Amino acid sequence: MWKQPAPANSSFNDYNTFPLPQTQRGQSSHAHGPVGHTQQPLVTGTSVLGLKFDKGVMIAADNLASYGSLARFRDIQRLHPLGKHTLLGVAGDMSDFQWLKKELDALLREEDALALSDSHPSLSPKNIYELLSNLFYARRSKMNPVWNAVLVGGWDKVKEESFLAYVDLLGTTYTAPTLATGFGAHLAQPLLREAFEAKAGINGDGPLLTQEEAEKVLDDSMKVLFYRDARSINKYQIATITAEGVSISDSKSSDTYWKFAEGLRGYGAQTQ
Amino acid sequence: MFRNSYDSDNTTFSPQGKLFQVEYALEAVKQGSAAIGLRSKTHAVLLTLKRSTGELATYQKKLIRIDDHVGVAIAGLTSDARVLSNFMRQQAMRSRMTYGRAIPVGRIVQSIADRAQTNTQEYGKRPYGVGFLVIGQDETGPHLYEFSPSGTAFEYYAHSIGARSQSAKTYLETNFASFENATLAELINHGLSALHDTLQQDKHLSLANTSIAIIGPSDGEIEDLNHSSAAKRGNFRVWENDGVNNLLRAWRRSRGENEDGPQEEEDKPKPEAEAETAQSAEGSEQAPPGAPAAGEDVTMEE
Amino acid sequence: MTSIGTGYDLSVSTYSPDGRLFQVEYAHKAVEAAGVAIGLRCKDGVILGVERLLHSKLLVKGANRRIASLDEHIGLASAGLLADGKHLARRGREEASSFRENYNSPVTVQILSDRISAYLQAYTCYGSVRPFGLSSIVGGVDKTGPKLFCIEPSGVYYGYRAVAVGKGKALAKTELEKIVNKNLESGTEGGLTVREAIDEVARIIYLVHDDNKDKDFELEMTWICEESGNKHALVPEDLLKSAEEKAKAALEEGMEED
Repeated sequence: MWKQPAPANSSFNDYNTFPLPQTQRGQSSHAHGPVGHTQQPLVTGTSVLGLKFDKGVMIAADNLASYGSLARFRDIQRLHPLGKHTLLGVAGDMSDFQWLKKELDALLREEDALALSDSHPSLSPKNIYELLSNLFYARRSKMNPVWNAVLVGGWDKVKEESFLAYVDLLGTTYTAPTLATGFGAHLAQPLLREAFEAKAGINGDGPLLTQEEAEKVLDDSMKVLFYRDARSINKYQIATITAEGVSISDSKSSDTYWKFAEGLRGYGAQTQ
Repeated sequence: MFRNSYDSDNTTFSPQGKLFQVEYALEAVKQGSAAIGLRSKTHAVLLTLKRSTGELATYQKKLIRIDDHVGVAIAGLTSDARVLSNFMRQQAMRSRMTYGRAIPVGRIVQSIADRAQTNTQEYGKRPYGVGFLVIGQDETGPHLYEFSPSGTAFEYYAHSIGARSQSAKTYLETNFASFENATLAELINHGLSALHDTLQQDKHLSLANTSIAIIGPSDGEIEDLNHSSAAKRGNFRVWENDGVNNLLRAWRRSRGENEDGPQEEEDKPKPEAEAETAQSAEGSEQAPPGAPAAGEDVTMEE
Repeated sequence: MTSIGTGYDLSVSTYSPDGRLFQVEYAHKAVEAAGVAIGLRCKDGVILGVERLLHSKLLVKGANRRIASLDEHIGLASAGLLADGKHLARRGREEASSFRENYNSPVTVQILSDRISAYLQAYTCYGSVRPFGLSSIVGGVDKTGPKLFCIEPSGVYYGYRAVAVGKGKALAKTELEKIVNKNLESGTEGGLTVREAIDEVARIIYLVHDDNKDKDFELEMTWICEESGNKHALVPEDLLKSAEEKAKAALEEGMEED
């Protein structure tokens, strides 16, 4: 009954050398070392921008997937339509994004299959956003986050209004008429807000931007991001979601002006 | 002991391709007291006839709320109904939790139908002995479904299950064309008339034995909105006991009958007594009525 | 039937002395009572049609469909026990979805039919289950083109140009054979276009239906073709309506000839 005190490291069993009967409950799984989860993203996409306008919502993202600081994949689409009236713009880990696409596509495919039998409409943008919020929060709570920041844009057919919301790897969620992830939250969000509030006012109760105005604001913001975000490239797409559905533009580039760079110390021709 | 050698378990087909155990389970539904469902463009309602096992017992409830937008009426084995309605509640909650969406009515009914189907195909199980009428509303409007132990779920404009439900069906079949554009009050009156037809001679609909469930916008004329926030929101609500008084009165009025109900109750001065009379009267109707009417649909095949 | 009362027909895991599985044969009987289901492979797609018998006039029009989707590009029309049909459709969807999960590519109609048939077959092997009371038509368009299969309760399945199951399948098959033979003779091996086939399938279902003996019915048709975006979808309302009218007209014409 009164045993000798056990040697301190027996509670570790560092090398998994104890005979099985002596293994304490719960110890065997730790015997192989701590449980490992994703602790950093690998191939990443940078900012995604979202902006509501008078007939819907637009989402923009560039075509780059970086491997660290290397511009590794330069033709990646980070805008993914889900059904007729929802679109995801995804920043962060691209393999997690690809997994997410596959899961959500399978879910919506099942919804569509069932709809043949009962004619019930598929999941709304709000429903998909709710699912993503739950998923991201559940995964971060398991210390195994889905390493993305996502903008969900859509058209709510019942309320006849646009939908725009944000969710990220921490399970953080919010919604606003202008949204941006990552670097864009610092550099582009002020520009988007300024343009939005110039017409709609601080409360957003005035007229919204027109489609042309909204696209111009996004073009300008993407240019600023290209100038200042070292993980971006000058090649991006804009998705437009309205009552008619989702359309994703071809890739496009901003006109850039680099003359000023001549005068920058360390960049131009000067030696000093 | 058995009626034939093919009816002792649920995994045996008869030479005619029938599953006798399933058909017997459908009989269990007919032993339960009647339930009626009907729907319009805007509303879906359920009406049930409650039974009590004796003067000391309360009347057995037959309406179960599943979620704000779904509810069921049962006929048959009450304990099986509890298992299935519990499962429906889980499904409804799951949909709200994960998608923030009220589960589509057809899907939730199909989920119990799928469960019931496995009970007709695996040895050692028995088919459920309960039938449901399910009302609900979703993005595609109000719905009425019938779930049966054979594992099927059908959508109806109007339907009835349980004891003597064939009489109600006859009423519904002659009148259902007008249900589509009916008001809530009209719909309930039709329902009560159909329910009335399932009663044995000299039995009456009363506060004690009638319960009504509604989904769809409320009608202050016949519903007591002060006592039901569900009614105000158009959610699933049940009216029974005193709550069903207005509805019964409106129905009797529409038939040109005495609002207070049948003659013998008029002698009793107090309304409390009215309920009591009805209770003992209903209590005597415990024995299930005889063989179900011919022509009741047995819907395993089609 | 001589099998009755011998005791060899009570379990699917018991052979009769002459090597038959009576329970599987009885399962076939459950199919024979069901409204007919038809599949027709066309040159540019596949079309499925069923005679949806209505056991009550209180049933909602156009609801309670008997054809199910297994994947974007594959449909299932079954005849037999309705609840078994839902069970099988659900399983079919799971198979199709697991194929996509594993191979990141849509399943072919052949492979899906094969998997479904294996599932059905398993229900003929054990005394603890009963076979499905179903004959199922699986139709779709995949990378190999339009494909059509029919799976029996035993699990056996074959590919078809055209197939019919359920009550009145014999008559339906005769009509389908005429269409197929005409195509073969005229050298149009691929057969009709789906547009043409809509009218044919509707006509056959109306022909097979016996107004005097059978309950009322609704015609239900789906297709997979370019016009439906190579997706399994309901045949559009206007096409269905016109096909029904033509079918009724053809029926009256036929009666006058008699």
